[in-house]
Amino acid sequence: MVQLVNAAFNGLSLSSIILLTSLGLAITFGLMKVINMAHGEFVMIGAYMTYITQQLFLAALPKASMSLYYFAAIPAAFLAAFALGCLTEKLIISRLYGREIDSLLATGGLSLVLQQAARSIFGSQGVNVEAPDFLKGGISAFGCTFSYNRIFILILVSATLLAIWILIYKTKFGSHMRAVMQNRPMAQCMGINSRRVDNITFGIGSGLAGLAGCSVALLGSVDSTAGQSYIVNSFMAVVLGGVGKIAGTVVGSAIIGFSGIAVESFTSSSIAKAIVLIIIIVFLQRKPQGLFTIRSRSLDE
Amino acid sequence: MLEVTSIDAYYGEGRIIHGLSLSVPKGKIVSLIGRNGVGKSTALKSVMGLVKTPRGSIKLDGREIVKMPPYGRAKLGIGYVPQGRDIFPQMTVQENLDLGLAPKGGAGKIPDYIFELFPMLPKFSKRKGGDLSGGQQQQLAIARALAAEPKILILDEPTEGIQPSIIKDIGAAIRKISSRGITVLMVEQYLDFVMGISDNLHVMEKGRIILSGAVKDLDSQKVQKILTN
Repeated sequence: MVQLVNAAFNGLSLSSIILLTSLGLAITFGLMKVINMAHGEFVMIGAYMTYITQQLFLAALPKASMSLYYFAAIPAAFLAAFALGCLTEKLIISRLYGREIDSLLATGGLSLVLQQAARSIFGSQGVNVEAPDFLKGGISAFGCTFSYNRIFILILVSATLLAIWILIYKTKFGSHMRAVMQNRPMAQCMGINSRRVDNITFGIGSGLAGLAGCSVALLGSVDSTAGQSYIVNSFMAVVLGGVGKIAGTVVGSAIIGFSGIAVESFTSSSIAKAIVLIIIIVFLQRKPQGLFTIRSRSLDE
Repeated sequence: MLEVTSIDAYYGEGRIIHGLSLSVPKGKIVSLIGRNGVGKSTALKSVMGLVKTPRGSIKLDGREIVKMPPYGRAKLGIGYVPQGRDIFPQMTVQENLDLGLAPKGGAGKIPDYIFELFPMLPKFSKRKGGDLSGGQQQQLAIARALAAEPKILILDEPTEGIQPSIIKDIGAAIRKISSRGITVLMVEQYLDFVMGISDNLHVMEKGRIILSGAVKDLDSQKVQKILTN
């Protein structure tokens, strides 16, 4: 029983981490169909922003109020990645719409540039982000311990999901965004500045990666390859769920997270990764469009 | 109202329209007619800014718009109903209509007369746009283009693929829209429909206008001959 609760919580926790790093990708890759190979580096930038905020607070404030740094780090990580995302869209991606392979290569190059930049600035040694006091420790129940920072990530991911849902379905910008993603020329004919919408949408997707970076910084040391370890799972979650549906990404992340932990409890973690990959390959052979598909009368969808 | 002067229009590298000129007087219904592939839709797309027009001039109320992006033109008061209607398929009928207000910054209210023109719209307001039939989509597309009260309405083959009873309704709707002072520019292949409702007619062939005139002065037999020749 204890083992089962423990495995369930670990599965939930892993799923929420995968989901957090996938949400930005669900927007840039899922909705905009841009394959951004530098997405993992936006996660890394969010993690480094958290580190920078921590160092600034360490230098400027007394030790007692240190924990507050994390509240500043969350918006800082989001905004830094948002700004860099907008810039990337403006300078690289907007020039390559409709040329997927070219934008894949260009963002792949950007990914290398950003990794090297991080090594040059922060060194190749990983840096540590100290969890704020209120996230240290955990609660014990059913004979196992649920650590606060994993619970915090669960709450953060739920709040982010809610915010995305409100943004897409309840705001004017959201309706413009959906119009542009469904039919770009027609959206322009409705007076919507599609370039601006593309730019901000990409910025938001990147900002979400930064937000994810801020929370994964709590889980281990941060180095220039911090994003790389999450990006593969994120792409798998988006593709498995069905490109273009955020609900699909949620289910996709859950499948990868839970099956990973379940398999891991019988074997080792590297075998678990291979088995999860096999499950996904077999599934996509059967249903290449993923779990959630968009119904449409038009022939080309 | 709308003055198009010797424009060329390109699809990629191919030139579809050569030096087309066209004048749409205020408050009139003007139709472009011609066989398949003569550049009628491209002419409308050039007015909307959806194809490249490196040469020529397009003026709306005396203002040059040839270099403007489509969203700028929509804000100046051009309502566009494309050939495939291009309803946003994953959005509800209501959301599609509300997007029609985007040229005015999303503010304001959809004019009531639109619901008198197309009484089926409120009934379907919660349906997905992509689930409507062709005729319903056509009505929704016209309603959406009218929501921001444009000065000129551009229609690309409003009767295409629509059953005869609905064609009559659409004809009546276009006349009512015109009677409200909205100028209409339309592309059609269906000659009887066009002769019935237009003020002026232009016949196109190979990217040029070869015959123009007021409908009452034109011999429909002669036009028919050009079209079937």
